Amino acid sequence: MDTAMEAGSEASRVRVEGVWKVFGRRAAEARDMAEAGAGREEIREAVGSVVAVRDVTFQVSPGETFVVMGLSGSGKSTLVRCVSHLIEPTEGTVEVCGTELTQADSATLRDLRRRKMAMVFQHFGLFPHRTVVDNVAYGLEVQGIDRRERQERARELLETVGLEGWGDHHPQQLSGGMQQRVGLARALAVDPEVLFFDEPFSALDPLIRRDMQDELIELQMRLRRTLVFITHDFVEALKLADRIAIMNDGAFVQVGTPVEILTDPADDYVRAFTQDAPVVKVLQACSVMRPLEGTEVDHGWPKVSETTPLEAVLPHLLGSTDPVLVCDEQEAPVGLLHGDEVAGVISPDR
Amino acid sequence: MTAVDGVRPGAGGLRAAWRGGPARFALVLGGMILLVAAFRILTDFGVFPESWNIGLADPIDRARRWLITNQNSHWLYTVFLNPLTDTMDWAIRRLESLLKWLPWYCYPLFTGLGLWWTRGRIAGALGLAGVTLIGVLGLWNEAFATLALMGVAVLVSMAIGIPLGIAAWHSDAVARITRPTLDTMQTMPGFVYLIPFVLLFGFGRVPAMISTVIFALAPVVRLTEVGLRTVPQSTVEASEMFGATERQTLRLVRLPQARPAIFAGMNQTTMLAMSMVVIAAFIGAGGLGQVVLQAMRSINVGKASEAGIAIVVMAIILDRFSTGVATADPGDDLPAIRWLAVVTAVGAVAGGLAGLNEFPKALGWRFAPYVNSLTDWARDNLYDIGGSGIGTGPFSDFVTTQLVIPLRELLSSGIPWPAMIGIGVVLGLWARGPRLAVGIGAALAAIGLLGMWELSMDTLAQVLLAVAATLAVGVPVGIMSSHNDLLRTALRPVLDFFQTIPSFVLLVPVITLFHVGRIPGIIASVVYALPAAVHYTDLGLRRVPTETHEAAESFGATRAQRLRQVEMPLAAPELMVAVNQVIMLILAMVVIAGLVGGGGLGLEAVRGLRRSDAVGRGFEAGIAIVLLAAILDRLTRAVADRLRPPAAV
Ligand SMILES: Nc1ncnc2c1ncn2[C@@H]1O[C@H](COP(=O)(O)OP(=O)(O)OP(=O)(O)O)[C@@H](O)[C@H]1O
Ligand SMILES: [Mg+2]
Repeated sequence: MDTAMEAGSEASRVRVEGVWKVFGRRAAEARDMAEAGAGREEIREAVGSVVAVRDVTFQVSPGETFVVMGLSGSGKSTLVRCVSHLIEPTEGTVEVCGTELTQADSATLRDLRRRKMAMVFQHFGLFPHRTVVDNVAYGLEVQGIDRRERQERARELLETVGLEGWGDHHPQQLSGGMQQRVGLARALAVDPEVLFFDEPFSALDPLIRRDMQDELIELQMRLRRTLVFITHDFVEALKLADRIAIMNDGAFVQVGTPVEILTDPADDYVRAFTQDAPVVKVLQACSVMRPLEGTEVDHGWPKVSETTPLEAVLPHLLGSTDPVLVCDEQEAPVGLLHGDEVAGVISPDR
Repeated sequence: MTAVDGVRPGAGGLRAAWRGGPARFALVLGGMILLVAAFRILTDFGVFPESWNIGLADPIDRARRWLITNQNSHWLYTVFLNPLTDTMDWAIRRLESLLKWLPWYCYPLFTGLGLWWTRGRIAGALGLAGVTLIGVLGLWNEAFATLALMGVAVLVSMAIGIPLGIAAWHSDAVARITRPTLDTMQTMPGFVYLIPFVLLFGFGRVPAMISTVIFALAPVVRLTEVGLRTVPQSTVEASEMFGATERQTLRLVRLPQARPAIFAGMNQTTMLAMSMVVIAAFIGAGGLGQVVLQAMRSINVGKASEAGIAIVVMAIILDRFSTGVATADPGDDLPAIRWLAVVTAVGAVAGGLAGLNEFPKALGWRFAPYVNSLTDWARDNLYDIGGSGIGTGPFSDFVTTQLVIPLRELLSSGIPWPAMIGIGVVLGLWARGPRLAVGIGAALAAIGLLGMWELSMDTLAQVLLAVAATLAVGVPVGIMSSHNDLLRTALRPVLDFFQTIPSFVLLVPVITLFHVGRIPGIIASVVYALPAAVHYTDLGLRRVPTETHEAAESFGATRAQRLRQVEMPLAAPELMVAVNQVIMLILAMVVIAGLVGGGGLGLEAVRGLRRSDAVGRGFEAGIAIVLLAAILDRLTRAVADRLRPPAAV
């Protein structure tokens, strides 16, 4: 596909630079106070406006899963809405797939949304007056694709998310987990390059949430899209992310890979999250391994697959002094796990 | 401090003073009474002085005469109004002749199928029987006239109302104009809408239709706007995120989700149109309303009942159908209904071509004679039972001489007019603030200056008595029904039924028993407003949270204590809404009752519609009705707001 070619030609799919969002009037004043180090409450009392996002900068590469994690009210939804341009940032530039949204006119933005991006919402945002299949087909209908074709595509996607046979129901007749599958199918139907997720699994029961996370990981391995994923759940962030940004009071306090965040938290705020995280269950071999890069390997060493959780690797490491080989799906070795390095990641006083 | 004494932030200082200090309120009230007493002793104020009449009637009469003479020559008519009239008349005529062309049997069948589809088999069977009944009573042509007029009026209302609702949703500027306008329009009794259009167009179906459209417009505009506003933002965002244009989002996401609200608006608009088309018989709208009106003028209660029943049947069918359309789910019956509909449609065309349009005379049957003999019997036997001084006649006389007349005299001359205005001002000040006070004062003064003081006080006296009677019956019934689900379930269809009946028709059974005069009007208005009183009382009390009940109960409060100390105060704002609704319904009815000897403003307005030399007075009476309605509405709503607990901060 030509999208793959385009993907190769760009350094990043999403580029966000110096984005601010202030709700309320006297935005400039609020901004200046924030730059001077004032907190959100302080600013709200002084000028009456809320600084929801302050000076956020990041880039997401093609195929990467970028997770923004923060507590309730930290500005995650506002940030993702600024990036998808559902709301206008007060300041800063946002670029998606090479188009600068802040400069784009409404036709360009619309076109970009039709072809390149999609979003999955916290409360699903499904259309109660449409059947499941018509929900999924919505993006295609907006593009003007004729009925038969879009229905066909929608049914295909329902199969992908495991909802075959539910197409003629209405979304409110489905359970929460199934509804969010519809939301996911609806987003995937337009074959977007960039997907935004605003806490898609927060409204679900813990068990269903875990299933959905696993399915998303599996889907992402197949499709390799660029994901911007919002969550308030640190474990979910560790599990899904290639890179995590920790957000507090509207600003990013740390950006890094799960291992970097775990081994080197930037401050006490981040450390508070890392301390209780069930690291060995969440982290997978591939995220802790050291890439081979030509290192000599001994094929007698124990082997695990990339997606093996650390807790299943530990017995091998404890049993001997040999490192463990991490292999990809074709059984080819791609990385090494050393006991001392893994210990550094999982020790409680990291 | 604001939160403590219940003054909401933003209230003016003066208003805060009124609310905060009952003592001060009493002081001012006392001062006012003293002042009034002084007025009364030193001068002789009583009825509003006739010499102050600004004489609006004359110019109106002159305008009417001018309009009549220039109807065929002035450009306003030749270029604008006459073509408009002709077009609308043409549309109504076309629809009517189409309705008449179709064979008679397709009406009961289509109605039956329609109700089967929306409400199930029983409703379908009843609908079929109901329409047949209209034919059996020989009112086929009159029903078509009503239906055609209403059909065009409803279509025009939708065609204006839905786009207007969308515009009001889309633009705050439009909403700022439509909302207060619609509010005002809904407080005016339908009857007064007729007056200006008669002035402009004379008698006929076109002014009837225009006033119907205006009277019925409000709900569909309002509910379209509300429906669009309450579409969840999340679905709109989702739509935007897929790159939908604003139009696509409106068409594919917003309007479909607003559909139930829009349908509810269409239902209410249809029902208002129905009741207005009946009242519009006063200005020559023809149809079933005309039959009732003529029969009532000649006190032919039997004939009036027949047409009245036909109207009720039509109203109920329209209501059941239009409330059911949005949720129609015939299930397994759908194929049968479809098939039968196709057969009926084919049969309709065939029958139309064969000229089977007349309802067969052989099926005719009248019950008017029976009703008339019942009326005679009632007059001979119930009016004054056995010459004992007990019966509806002496009852009417007693209420009239002991309550209606004394109250009227008290309001119109017993209390000097400056004192009446003063009382209005003080009430306004207490209920809301200076603006309402000034408004009420000005409105009352205007009523006086129009020369409508006495008539208005007559009407006000009737309204107050009817309201007292309605609340005396309605509130206790509402309280009982709020505590008793069984009673509530039993009352439900009765209340629904009474709310569907066009106001005008209710007069028919009442004059059967009470003859003409003020009393039938008052009784009819009590009957008319009673469902609202029961409904809102019940609703208000049921809104009291269960937890609050339980809290009171856990402190060992008796049922009566709970009602008095917890439920009633908490439900007070709703109860005040009930009072508001009751007053507005009663005012509308009392005005129409002018027709059956109710006197007051209604009579003056009716006369103005009937006699072209009385149009000016009728117009003045119409304005007085509007002013009275506005005063009562604003005042009761202000009190309702006052009773509401302070909003959470
Ligand atoms: N439209 C708005 N107007 C004013 N303030 C807003 C608006 N939307 C959000 N805020 C404020 O901005 C701040 C950040 O809100 P945001 O919804 O982005 O947080 P969040 O991290 O997504 O929280 P949650 O986990 O609860 O969804 C909050 O203090 C919120 O009150
Ligand atoms: Mg959020």
